[in-house]
Amino acid sequence: MPVVELNINRIRKLVSGKTTRKQILDALPFLGLDIESEDGDEIRIEYSPNRPDYSTDYGIATGLQGLLGIKKGIQKTIIKKKGKFAIKVDSSVTKIRPYVTGVIATNGKLDDVSIKQLMNMQEDLHFGIGRKRKKSSIGLHDADKISFPLIYSTTSREHKFVPLNSNTEHTIDEILTNTEVGQNYGSVLGDVKQVPIITDSEQNTISFPPIINSALTTVTPNTKNILIEVTGIDKESAEDMLSVVISILQTAGFDFNELKISGNKNSTPQLKNRTMIYDTKFTSEILGIEMNSSNMVTCLKKCRLDASVKGKKITCTIPRYRFDIFGPMDLVEEIALGYGIANIEPKLSPSTTIGQKNDVTIKTGLISKTAIGLGFLEAMNSSLTSKKTLYDMTKRDSSKIISVLDSKSQEHTILRDSLLPSLLENLSKNIHESYPQKLFETGVVFSKSQPINESINFAAVIAYKDTNYSEIKAIMQSILKTNFKIESQTKTSKNQELFVEGKHADILVDEKKIGEIGEINTEILENFRIRTTVTGFEIKLSGLIFD
Amino acid sequence: MSQVFHDIEKKILETLQKTPNQTPEQLSKNTELSIDQIRRGIEWLRLKDLAIVNESEQVSISLGPNGLDSLKNGLPERKLINLIKNEPKTFDQIRSVLSGAGFNAAIANAKKNGWIKIEKNDSGSLVSLKEKPIETPEEKLLAFIGEKTVSQDEITNSLALKILLSRPNYIIQTSEKSKTISLTDTAMSLDTSISSSGAIDVEADVPPVFAARTHPLQDTIDEIREIFVNLGFSEILGNMTQSSFWNFDALFTPQDHPARELQDTFYLEKLESKNPATSSQIKNVSSSHTKNWKYDWKLSESQKMVLRTHTTCVTIKYLAEQKPDNARIFSLGRVFRNEKVSYKHLVEFNQIEGIVIGNNTTLRDLMGIQKEFYKKLGLTKIKFWPTFFPYTEPSLQTMVYNEKLGKWIELFGMGIFRPEVTKPLGIDKPVLAWGGGIERIAMLKYELDDVREFYNNNLSWLRSA
Repeated sequence: MPVVELNINRIRKLVSGKTTRKQILDALPFLGLDIESEDGDEIRIEYSPNRPDYSTDYGIATGLQGLLGIKKGIQKTIIKKKGKFAIKVDSSVTKIRPYVTGVIATNGKLDDVSIKQLMNMQEDLHFGIGRKRKKSSIGLHDADKISFPLIYSTTSREHKFVPLNSNTEHTIDEILTNTEVGQNYGSVLGDVKQVPIITDSEQNTISFPPIINSALTTVTPNTKNILIEVTGIDKESAEDMLSVVISILQTAGFDFNELKISGNKNSTPQLKNRTMIYDTKFTSEILGIEMNSSNMVTCLKKCRLDASVKGKKITCTIPRYRFDIFGPMDLVEEIALGYGIANIEPKLSPSTTIGQKNDVTIKTGLISKTAIGLGFLEAMNSSLTSKKTLYDMTKRDSSKIISVLDSKSQEHTILRDSLLPSLLENLSKNIHESYPQKLFETGVVFSKSQPINESINFAAVIAYKDTNYSEIKAIMQSILKTNFKIESQTKTSKNQELFVEGKHADILVDEKKIGEIGEINTEILENFRIRTTVTGFEIKLSGLIFD
Repeated sequence: MSQVFHDIEKKILETLQKTPNQTPEQLSKNTELSIDQIRRGIEWLRLKDLAIVNESEQVSISLGPNGLDSLKNGLPERKLINLIKNEPKTFDQIRSVLSGAGFNAAIANAKKNGWIKIEKNDSGSLVSLKEKPIETPEEKLLAFIGEKTVSQDEITNSLALKILLSRPNYIIQTSEKSKTISLTDTAMSLDTSISSSGAIDVEADVPPVFAARTHPLQDTIDEIREIFVNLGFSEILGNMTQSSFWNFDALFTPQDHPARELQDTFYLEKLESKNPATSSQIKNVSSSHTKNWKYDWKLSESQKMVLRTHTTCVTIKYLAEQKPDNARIFSLGRVFRNEKVSYKHLVEFNQIEGIVIGNNTTLRDLMGIQKEFYKKLGLTKIKFWPTFFPYTEPSLQTMVYNEKLGKWIELFGMGIFRPEVTKPLGIDKPVLAWGGGIERIAMLKYELDDVREFYNNNLSWLRSA
């Protein structure tokens, strides 16, 4: 979950001077925002990726105003149409990053904190709706440093400019190779010879999307007018991103001026509100709350939407930046939020169904009971284990290994096809504990099939100096016989590295092999640093006591 | 009747028959048993009415700093007498020798004893000798105690002691409780040589044995399963390896969603599901994605095999296949996240996840089921907060107050399946869904702060948890 840092005093001012710290802290969770940590006046908030407008304190303040009833309904955005601001799109971008959109935010005031908030917003937008800058990416620029109109076209990798946070000129190639952003996001562009570039009427480079802006247009506390440009591979997604930034900058006190966009399937963004018709019956059907239509309208307005009653329906107006709203169920949730989740009473209706455990659960439970009766302690191990434990240390055949890709943990890289290696590992970690040690485990094992087969196995081990084949065989037969009345036989089998030669067997039920039993090979015990005798067995329960 | 004695008892009896009335320390010395063994032996003998324990309090007396000074130089009143024995002295003259409290005490006590008279004249008060002072009982007592520590019982003049005790720092009084053990008449005449010595020390430490048991985490899993069965839910099982179709696509998670990336999800190497779902399911899910998320949905992405990231894939598949009109279903099992293992994160953990379809499927009902579940776990202080899941709307999370930690803890998440999830799979009714990790609840139960403990299979913990 993305995180945003807030200063409590700043957000109080943004919401309304009269709100208290407690009101803010109490209301945040009911906006769907989790307080991750509090350090004096600085609080860290986790917000859901479906609400990118919460990536700054401005957006959160807008939400809080609604929930606390200070300001309700949509905050109206006026984008002035006058002005010289324009961007022309060259057809060369079509195959690389075809769309650009944007707006000019004017007459605003920034300070260091608000710039930090906007930078955080930019990072979160890039990661979330921008899909790591692939789908869309954003650039904020000091508009007063730019000579309009702009041109969005392509350039060669030898093109030079001074990138953000640098004093010297670099070529595109250098930026892609030598800078962190270049290394992280260069792959978004693929292996193309020409890269996208935004330049102004005096041929100054403004931005190299989606990698980096130029130093020329850096936004500082002195910036009053901001150019926001969003480029991407999808027009609607780019406009989604733009609408979020506009809603945030509006709360920050900016006015807006249109950026005329033309050329090659691009057009000036309209950013129109949507209307959606909401059937009031959903409120009681889904939430279980009886509420009249005008109260529903109030709830929707508290969520910064507009709404009006029309008979049994409500016409709801949704601002452009709330593209997380797909249909009526999303409006139901808005009504619940506006109503206040804390005000909804849980209700326990009697069940009309009879609950039942799964057959597998019942039968593995019976097996566990028998094992415990025989003095065994239950172990639980991961299905994801390491090649070292599963194959190398036990010298088992690894030709049918099932691996996962790119595991972050070396100890969890392959799916186990047997339980015994994990139990040996457990014994290995407990060599300082008193003996005898007797362990069992019931668990899923995996094998390659079409595409993969999962079955449930049972395994047990005994470790102490006097354990022997007869002891473990008696245990195995008792486990199968108790409750299940299964008679089993042991049959001499081919040599296996896991067991001591001449002291192991296949386990047969009705002449079908269901598992293996024996005394564990001393060499393998040495691998696990176990200095006593170990006997064990493993059987497949699937197909034996359940399907 | 022959009695059965432990060796400890025998030794104590024998030594007390020789020398009655001994303290435990003396007994320990004489029998060469430890003081602990003596204490136990005495207790056993007492229970058999063979030994009598006399508790007494011993008060000892010694001189404090003022007492020692007076022993050497006389009490203040004696010093005063010595000063005026030849001629009367004024207060000021006396004060120059006997300063501070000593002066007041000297005047007061000498006057009380009738030794002096005080006359006032122009130059102040004049003190003169009235009669020849004899040795007082207090002085005799001081001399008697001397530099020794004596028992209070040895002091005959208790009035003198009381007077000295009332004066500061003259006497140090310490009291000590002591026990003396003696034998009853029966015990004195017991012939220990003919009594049997088969008794054992029933209080001595023994080597521990450990109960075989189910794994504590399994106990919690079973407890939670039982609660939901009682609430009318039936258990279904499903595979841990799933196609991306059921783990993600069917649950409305777009194919370019960050959660689907390699660093969050375990993809299985070179394995794919050729036919993850029926062709109409694939067609409908595909168009739901394309319409709502606006991207090119790819079958190949949905065929990739993953280790399930939640058990919801099991229930949604069940719903799509069975299309029940009225059901309460749950699924419980391992789920996987490609995370770094830490004290609060595991790559593999247990999750329970359930659904309700049919009657009583409002958000309030969902909250009611959760509340009842937590109540049965003994967690009564709960509240609900809004949250976000890609496949439910509205979505809530339960917060449970933990008294020990003094804070609210996030437990199960819940919501109503989005129509974008249910419609493409042919499910027309609202479906309540909830679920969460089990280890988190087990950690509260076993008061663990490191979740890895559950899978360490550390015998010292398993044997004692």
